[in-house]
Amino acid sequence: MSKTILAVDDSGSLRQMLSFSLKAAGYGVIEAVDGQDGLDKARKQTVDLVLTDQNMPGMDGLSLIKALRGMKNYRNVPILMLTTEAGDDMKAMGRAAGANGWLVKPFDPARLTEVVKKLIG
Amino acid sequence: MLPQEPPSSELLMNTQVVRLLSGVSVHGDQHLAEVERDLVQMDVLLDEAIKKLCASFMAIHHAVDRQQEALNGLLAGSLPASEYAQRFEALRGEIGRHVSAAVTGLQFQDMTSQLIGRMVQHLASLRDVFGALDTNGSALPQSGNEALLALLSDIGDRVDARRSGVRSTVNQRHMESGDIELF
Repeated sequence: MSKTILAVDDSGSLRQMLSFSLKAAGYGVIEAVDGQDGLDKARKQTVDLVLTDQNMPGMDGLSLIKALRGMKNYRNVPILMLTTEAGDDMKAMGRAAGANGWLVKPFDPARLTEVVKKLIG
Repeated sequence: MLPQEPPSSELLMNTQVVRLLSGVSVHGDQHLAEVERDLVQMDVLLDEAIKKLCASFMAIHHAVDRQQEALNGLLAGSLPASEYAQRFEALRGEIGRHVSAAVTGLQFQDMTSQLIGRMVQHLASLRDVFGALDTNGSALPQSGNEALLALLSDIGDRVDARRSGVRSTVNQRHMESGDIELF
């Protein structure tokens, strides 16, 4: 059974490219349009990995991570930030919130799937 | 020591007018400089993205042509099938790499959209600065410097309250894939 990834980003084209790249590598993908939508979908189904943007309307990526880490079934699920933000202060905040890694956009599909594979096989 | 005389109303008026003009100039300049910076950055990103996408699409087109040639050769039986299998596998990998490069290039939309959003915020703030100059339809006081001073001071306060505070979230200058850091 393929592993499922929750891809959270307010950009439709970015979600489409994430979905395309991850599905081509054999993963199932659930898309969410912002932090709140991501949280709602994560509650309905426990996924194997979460990939989230930071700057989104409503709930941002850091708030989503904090909310997920407060849920019992998401304490050990890998969460990666995929964002245009590249500052060390933001990375430190991501780490403190419970992120497992920080990927700066634009992403390369091969490098992204390599990281995902390393984390969930 | 002689007691200091209070500043004249002309001096106070002068100070308020200078403060007001300086506030409009400084805030306006800040917002426009940020918009200018974002436009230059967007131009650089779009230029790189288009170049990257053109190169990827041309490369995919050539690879598909070569795939067709290999297919024609296979149908004609010019070489052993195993050799074609290797050729097809290599072409598949090559097309995959070009598609990946195109996926990276296509992400310009996400970045330019954020830059446009920031520019819109700056322009809205600039409109606020100009809006603060509005006296809400009331005419300037005809007489009495104190009333005019109070009005100028109020406008000056409103202009000062509209400082630029839009953080930049996109600092990319290239469309190459970004850094990856695992914690």
